[in-house]
Amino acid sequence: MPRIQLGSWVNDGVDWLTTHMAWLFDFCKTVFLGLYDGINAVLQAPEPLLLAGIFAVIAFWLRGTLAGVLTFAGFAFIDSLELWENAMITLALVLVATVIALVISLPVGIWAARSDRVSSLVRPVLDFMQTLPAMIYLIPAILFFGTGAPAGIVATLIFALAPGVRMTELGIRQVDKELVEAAEAFGTSPRNTLLRVQLPLALPTVMAGVNQVIMLGLSMAAIAGMVGTGGLGGDVNEAIGQLNVGLGSEAGVAIVILAIYLDRMTSALGTQVSPLGRRAAAKLRAAQGLKIWSYRPRPAVAVIGVVVLALTAGGMGVLGGGKTGGEAVADGKDIGQGKKITIGYIPWDEGVASTFLWKEILEQRGYEVEAKQFDAGPLYTSLSQGDVDFQTDAWLPTTHAQYWKKYGKQLDDLGAWYDKTSLELTVPAYMKGIDSLADLKGKASEFGGKITGIESSAGEMALLKSKVLKEYGLDKEYKVVDSSTPAMLAELKRAYAQKKPIVTTLWSPHWAYNDYDLKKLKDPKGAWGEGDGVHSLSRKGFADDDPTVAGWLKKFEMSEKQLTSLEAEINEAGKGSQQDAVRAWLKQNPDVVDKLAPVRNSGGGTPAEAKQPLDVAWFPWDEDIAVTYLWKNVLERRGYQLNLKQMDVGPVYTGLASGDLDLNFDAWLPYAQKNYWDKNKDRLEDLGTWYEPTSLEIAVPSYVKGVDSLEDLKGKSSTFKGKIIGIEPGTGEMDLLKNKVLPGYGLDKEYEVVDGSTPAMLAELKRAYAKKEPIAVSLWSPHWAYSDYELTKLKDPKKAFGEGNTIRTISNEKFPGEYPQLTKWIKNFRMSEEELGSLESEIKDRGQGHEEEAVADWLRQHPDMVRRMTPQ
Amino acid sequence: MHVSATLEATSLYKVFGRRPNRAVERLRGGADREELRAEGTTAAVIDASFTVEPGQIFVVMGLSGSGKSTLLRMLNGLLEPTAGQVRFDGQDLTALSDRELRQVRSRKISMVFQHFALFPHRSVRENAAYGLEVQGVPRAERARRADEALALCGLAGWEKSWPDELSGGMQQRVGLARALATDADLLLMDESFSALDPLIRRDMQDQLLELQQKLKKTIVFITHDLNEAMRLGDRIAVMRDGRIVQNGTAQDILLRPENDYVASFTQDVDRSRVLTAGELMETSVTGDAPGCHCETATPDTPFTELCAISARLSHPVSVVDKEGKLVGIVPRQRLVGFLGDEQDATPQPCDSPRDKGAEKVTARA
Repeated sequence: MPRIQLGSWVNDGVDWLTTHMAWLFDFCKTVFLGLYDGINAVLQAPEPLLLAGIFAVIAFWLRGTLAGVLTFAGFAFIDSLELWENAMITLALVLVATVIALVISLPVGIWAARSDRVSSLVRPVLDFMQTLPAMIYLIPAILFFGTGAPAGIVATLIFALAPGVRMTELGIRQVDKELVEAAEAFGTSPRNTLLRVQLPLALPTVMAGVNQVIMLGLSMAAIAGMVGTGGLGGDVNEAIGQLNVGLGSEAGVAIVILAIYLDRMTSALGTQVSPLGRRAAAKLRAAQGLKIWSYRPRPAVAVIGVVVLALTAGGMGVLGGGKTGGEAVADGKDIGQGKKITIGYIPWDEGVASTFLWKEILEQRGYEVEAKQFDAGPLYTSLSQGDVDFQTDAWLPTTHAQYWKKYGKQLDDLGAWYDKTSLELTVPAYMKGIDSLADLKGKASEFGGKITGIESSAGEMALLKSKVLKEYGLDKEYKVVDSSTPAMLAELKRAYAQKKPIVTTLWSPHWAYNDYDLKKLKDPKGAWGEGDGVHSLSRKGFADDDPTVAGWLKKFEMSEKQLTSLEAEINEAGKGSQQDAVRAWLKQNPDVVDKLAPVRNSGGGTPAEAKQPLDVAWFPWDEDIAVTYLWKNVLERRGYQLNLKQMDVGPVYTGLASGDLDLNFDAWLPYAQKNYWDKNKDRLEDLGTWYEPTSLEIAVPSYVKGVDSLEDLKGKSSTFKGKIIGIEPGTGEMDLLKNKVLPGYGLDKEYEVVDGSTPAMLAELKRAYAKKEPIAVSLWSPHWAYSDYELTKLKDPKKAFGEGNTIRTISNEKFPGEYPQLTKWIKNFRMSEEELGSLESEIKDRGQGHEEEAVADWLRQHPDMVRRMTPQ
Repeated sequence: MHVSATLEATSLYKVFGRRPNRAVERLRGGADREELRAEGTTAAVIDASFTVEPGQIFVVMGLSGSGKSTLLRMLNGLLEPTAGQVRFDGQDLTALSDRELRQVRSRKISMVFQHFALFPHRSVRENAAYGLEVQGVPRAERARRADEALALCGLAGWEKSWPDELSGGMQQRVGLARALATDADLLLMDESFSALDPLIRRDMQDQLLELQQKLKKTIVFITHDLNEAMRLGDRIAVMRDGRIVQNGTAQDILLRPENDYVASFTQDVDRSRVLTAGELMETSVTGDAPGCHCETATPDTPFTELCAISARLSHPVSVVDKEGKLVGIVPRQRLVGFLGDEQDATPQPCDSPRDKGAEKVTARA
């Protein structure tokens, strides 16, 4: 039988998709993320109890008083469990997945109902999607979409799509054939038959499908916690990892509450939406008579209730410091608090670009910004009079020398943000052999003896005519054509499109360099003179009035590439939509805002690299929780931002390798996570060991007497029922155990290693320990099980387990380049057993959800730690 | 009064399965339905031709599987004939595009179904107005005409009810109202009364006849019930195995069955409901006027009435036409003979003298 290489085909396929279909996945990702962020923002914004109130009113409307009361109680309960934020994340995730699932499944279902062929094609695909184990598509989902919400949404979607399609198809097919025939007999078109007869009658079934989609989505959301989507799934995952039944059940109950709510609401909605359901409900009500518990308000009343609560929620958000609210500035970034700032600008490309960039940035930081356009002279006047707060387009020392001389005393120079300006003659890059002004000599016929110039009044033109051409002996050969900047640019565009020779006067920075492939002609004789720097100038005293903005402006810098690309974007968008262009550009350059206007600027010591948030993945294992939260605390003091994502081992390595995650502090290498490491090591960086030694071992409870070493296990298989409880198959420890340790001690015939999972192993240990039954488990140190139970680590005289692992920090391959300072800190980071132990126990004492406080307390007891970890 | 148009079906075939056209060729060539069935194709309707005159009720009768429902659905194009033509109102329906056909269905042809096929998510009025809604009639006019049709069917006051609140008979009245509301000339009724209780069925038949008096639609009525066919049908076509085996009036079917199959059908029919004096009379005796001034019958006098007259007379009943001419006589012997399916039997002489007098009376008549 030949081996069918299905696996490698799939690998090739996934590789191909990652490289060739990236645009599609990026598009999906943007859509998913946009939807998710939007819904999540709306759900997170109001006070929990107010939102619970809104949910309750909806329940009151759809199902009656009792449902409303229970809804409020349920959501208040979630809030009191401190799971509100995560519950809303999960809700947002499920809602987005549901919406997308419906958008796909309803048309497919309708299509399948109308065509047997489509139906028979779709059915196996649905079976496939529904039964394929989730982990198998979770990992490719990370490859395609990165960790976080989009991958979770995709996984949920794949799982939840099937019932939507099936129930839609079933619903439509179930509609009485005679009714469809009746519709046709009266001349109804197929479209209207679908809309007026089939869909209304199929609606109850379709709504049952919607309901199923939501339910499956919710159950999948828990699994999606493994890829860092967060939410209740993350809590469940964390709890399972730590065998924390308490937290697990809290998160579980929260999921159940969400599930029941969504289930009841959608089924009630199904009744409301379908004409038949409405009639049945009305009949039932008529039969029951009016009862308080089943009383339902009229829709108008319900809508008013929801609106009032929503307005209250919004209003409270606004009054509560302008923090929340739909479009308000994100929490903690509202530096300006509505303060007014006026920027003046000269309508030159770089002036427009930098001004609107700052307008956008400052608005994002909560300022109210007005941008006023001036000519150079009036701008300096207004600035000196204090009508304008600052401008960003002062060409100093040469071009604006006269203004500076006149107004300099009433102005503050906030420094140059762009200092490579230059004036030059430029030719397209396809003009071979012309690289310097000297090369122009003797080529006049090629260019028709023309240099396309700009406004004759411009300083550059004067310089060109009076000095530059003479210096290179070109004044006889070439004629400088006076025109205007737009005309010059139009001429350049036309010539460029036809690949005709052209030489123009130009200056840097200019967007033309971004849009066309141009050569600046070298000026070996220095005839153009030294270039100006582009400075930001403010009115006198602005730095005292607003030190933050002044500080930002002082540090403001742009590279030529950034500036020209921004100019090009603005140029393309056209007048009137400059700010939209800036927004679009900022989307492509997402870190610029935080770089130019850093928010968590807690003093001078923030390295530049800290502006980009770090994605740190962690496993729900004690040492990782401890070290991750420790780093979070310490680095936030240094101005870094850390996004913590809780994940499983496989996804972490995949995420790091794809560059989607930055760091993980809990790599057990070189053995325990060898498989993952080997697979991805080309795209990973090892930032060194922070904790050692560790060991892998088989452990037995200490009440099992006479078993102290692996050799002692021989002949005792009946005591342990021939079983050694293992962890996840495929992990380094398990492979080592099966392939080396057991054969090494001749135990492989006697014992069977039970594949399972870490939580399962720990649960088994706990059970056996409580009953004092003999048990042998594969374990490792450090592990909290050693502090909770009395266990004997079996000695390994033959060293079959090999040397111990060390716990290392690993990152994606780009990390050391992007974060040199942090890389240095991490490489020098060490923790002693005492430190790690005390931190772990502090965290354990404080309980789940209070890790940050525990770390803060622990750091108070270890005052030198911050300096040791991040020396400055 | 509105005059309906003629419906004409010529040589209709409907074959389900693979390569239907070839199957039609073979059927035309004399192939048997069973032969085709063995090859997996089903010939549902074979060479059906008939004409329905304006204002006529044309009943297609046959057992289930005889192809009558398929035939009906070809008449309004719900099924496309494999071969043959349907002409209605001078228009060849088989040549129309889907869109044109839908136009015809919404304006000229409507249909009443066996299980009513009322839309459960629409009120009675909305159901009755459905065809008008498809036509695009404005809402107010739609409601008015629907209410009129409902009133015509005896459902005034029920407009706002829902179909599931009505009894079966009433539901079918809604179905009838829905069909009448569009003012279609051709009414197709697919076993429309079969699902009703016998009493209600009779009511509905009466109502249909009554309505037909007023409206003079062209109606094609499908049934498997010969009594119903006899009651309603101006003409009756009997179908068997996809073919029309006989097409004629109720009396034709009853008195002159084309073959044993039709005859076996009519065996159980209550003849007294169908037969009239014209069918029964001996035409050997005619004349300008009856020989006495006793009570007479006309050719249209139903059988039961004829019996009553005969009971009051001591001699055969004279049958006279409109001008008072004697067109035939009905001896009592003949009445009894028809009931007993012994139409032309001559009574045997009896050996008991007590009955001789009776024989003499008969002989003298």
